[in-house]
Formats: sequence, C-alpha cells, structure tokens
Amino acid sequence: MASSSNPPPPAERASELINKMPSSPGLVTKTGSVILGTGLLATAISQELYVVNEETVIAAGFFILLTFIAKSVREPYRDWAENNINRVKNILNQSRQEHTQAVKERIQSVEQMKDVVSVTEGLFALSKETAKLESEAFVQRQKVVLASEVKSVLDSWVRFEQQEKENEQAELARTIIANVLKSVNDEKTQKEILTSAVAEIEQLVKSKAI
Amino acid sequence: MFGNQQYNIINSPLEQFEVTSLLGLNAPILGYLNISLTNLALYSLLVLFIIVSLHYMANNDTKLVPSKWSIALESVFASINSMVREQLGKELYLPFIYSLFFFILIANLTGNIPYSFTITTSIMVSIGLSFTILIAVTILGLSIHKLHFFSYFVPSGTPLALVPLLVLIELVSYLARAFSLGIRLFANMVAGHTLMKILATFLYQMFSGSLIVAVLTLIPFTLFLAIMGLELAVSFIQAYVFVILTCSYIKDAIELH
Repeated sequence: MASSSNPPPPAERASELINKMPSSPGLVTKTGSVILGTGLLATAISQELYVVNEETVIAAGFFILLTFIAKSVREPYRDWAENNINRVKNILNQSRQEHTQAVKERIQSVEQMKDVVSVTEGLFALSKETAKLESEAFVQRQKVVLASEVKSVLDSWVRFEQQEKENEQAELARTIIANVLKSVNDEKTQKEILTSAVAEIEQLVKSKAI
Repeated sequence: MFGNQQYNIINSPLEQFEVTSLLGLNAPILGYLNISLTNLALYSLLVLFIIVSLHYMANNDTKLVPSKWSIALESVFASINSMVREQLGKELYLPFIYSLFFFILIANLTGNIPYSFTITTSIMVSIGLSFTILIAVTILGLSIHKLHFFSYFVPSGTPLALVPLLVLIELVSYLARAFSLGIRLFANMVAGHTLMKILATFLYQMFSGSLIVAVLTLIPFTLFLAIMGLELAVSFIQAYVFVILTCSYIKDAIELH
C-alpha cells in the first residue's frame, strides 16, 4: 500500500544498498550488474512481484551483517584453519617420517645380519679347525713332554754309564801303575831295561855317528 | 475490510510465529483424516536436511587431513566432546548431546534468515524437547538407582519434620526444569525475533518517509544491525545453554548430587 503509492524511493534505496554491498574494487562489469540489478528490482517492485515491507529491512540488514561478518571473519578464520590443518599435517608427516625411519633402521639392522649364516658357517669351520689344531698341538706337546722325559732318563743313564766307565778306567790305570811300579822295583827288570837302553844308544851312535 | 484485516495480520510482530498449513489433506475417512504439511514441519525437514548435508559436505571424504570447512565441524565436535567429558566423564551421551546441539543451533540460525520460520519459537518444539529430556532423565535415574532415586528429593541432613515440605519444594523445582529449559529457549528466540520485527517495522516506516529522514534512519539502522548480530550470538548461546543444562540434568540423574 505504502510501497505502491511512491515506488521511486525504495528503488533508489535498493540501488544504494546494492552499491554498498559489493564493495570490491569497482569494475565496469560491476557497474553494469548494479544497473541491471537496480532495473530488475525496480521492475519487480513496480510489478508487485516483490512487495517491499519491514521484512525487506530485515533482509537488507541480514545481508549487510552477513557480508560484514564474512569479511571480518574470513582472514582470522583462514589463519586459524590453516594453522590447525598444518598442525595435523605436521603430526601426520612427522609420524610418517618416524615410521619410515624406523622401517629403514630395521632394514639396516636386518641387512647387517644378511650374511650371518655364511659367517656363522665360517666361524664354525674355523672353530672346528682350531679345535683340531689344538688337539694336535696337545698331542705334540704330550709327545714333546714324553720325549724330554725319555731324554732326561736316557741322559741320566748316559751319565751313569760314563761315570762307570771313568771309574773302571781309573781302576785300570791304578792297577797298571801299580804293576809297572812293582815291575820297576824288580832288579831283573831294571837290568833288562838298562841293557836295552844301552843297546839302543849304541845302535844310535852307530847309525848316526854321534 | 478483508484487505484491512490482512494488513493488520501482516504487521503483527507475532504473526511470524504462527503455524500455518501449507499443504493439507482433509479426507472424510478414518474420522476425518487431516494430514497437513505446516511451515513448522517444512522447516523441521529443512533443518534436518541442512544438518545432514552440512555433515555430509564437511565430512571431507573422511580424509585424515581436514579441509578449511571440515576443521570448523571438527572443532565444534571437539568442544562438545570436551564439554560432555567434563560434565559426565564419559562419552556415552555424546551422540545425543551433539545431535541436540546441532538441531537447536541450525534451527536457531535458519530462523535468522529473513522470510523464514524459526522452529524453536514454537513452544511445541522447545517444551516438547525439554519434556522429552526430563522424562528421559527421570527414567535414566530410576533405572540406575531404582527406588534410591527418590533420595534426590530429600537433601542430606534435613530434620524429619521438614522432609515433607522439602520434598515438595524439590519436586516442584525438579519439575520446573522441564518448563524452564524449554521456555528459556522459546522465550529468547521469540523475544529476539519479535524485537527485530518491531524494530524493522519502525525502520521501514522511517525509511518510507522523506529522503532526509531515510538517510538519518541509517543511524538507528546500524543499531539494528548490532541487534541482529546479537540475535546471531543468541542463536549460538541458547543452543549451548540448552545443551549444557541437559548435560547437568543427566549428571544429576547419574550421580544424584
């Protein structure tokens, strides 16, 4: 009723509001859309396709408020959301890296043991060899011990035999000396020696003509 | 006369809360069957649709890394979860509290959209919710504590002579919760929307005047914007208050003080 009596002011107000609402940098297209919108709105109002009443005020206020809230909240919200998303991402990436690291470490530790069988076999063979050598060495040592034992026994026998020999020789020498001395003391022998000595000297004189 | 009547109905600030039939089926069978889709039913369905689609879209294909949209829903869930944990100590009632919060929040917020209907301004919805909750809480308390539940109405250390009086007072205060919970939500929403409607009517009258008055009206219009912002805040606050009180009632029923 009130709207139908004087339609121009609402149309002006509507265009005013539309100019206010899209406050992004004014472009040619924006101006065109505003003009088009204003025209459409004016037509709608004049044809009573849209009745302007108090709800229009609420609608305008609501959309202004919504734009304001969207504008003022967008930046902080984006920061907050990105922070949180990054936090979650970091946690996930970190755990993935840790897991990869753990798997790598495990692979490495297993890798170190990959020729453990051959090494063990080698070690076993070596230890077998060592045991064999040790037993041989033991046998050899026993032999050496036995040989030295035998040698010492034989040596002692040799020493004993030597002593016996020496004793016998000394005895022999003593009896011979005693016999000689006894025979020297005999006169007959002394004479014989003397004669033989004289004969020898004569012979020497003859031959050499001293 | 008809036009005048219509004019008055349109301008009544309480007209927006009327439940009207949009689509109806009246049939003279089964004792005059009457099935109708009211604006209340339509907006209830709309709220359900919005809640489901919001969760479906913000689900982010169940990806582990949240998107800019799903992080908001996740943080709402986290805050409700922490509230339920703090109040009740367990998450058994979380689905109920979460659904309740989203139902009231989306219902309040859709009500803020111009030309729409707010389902929480219908006393049937808000009181229906609070009565349902109180009856459920009473059944919960009875099933947990059996007859011992009635000790709730006798504060410890009361002299025997005072017991009948105190039981009466406690019973009334317990039953008053059913009303207070629903009426708090209903009254806040109705008051807010009525105020907005009245202010909008005034502003419209002033805008319709001369150009100078219309320009000057921009000053109270900014105040109107602030009140509208307050209404948006009230939508959140009332949903939160309703849910936190429901939590405390459940806590009372579980722990009996």
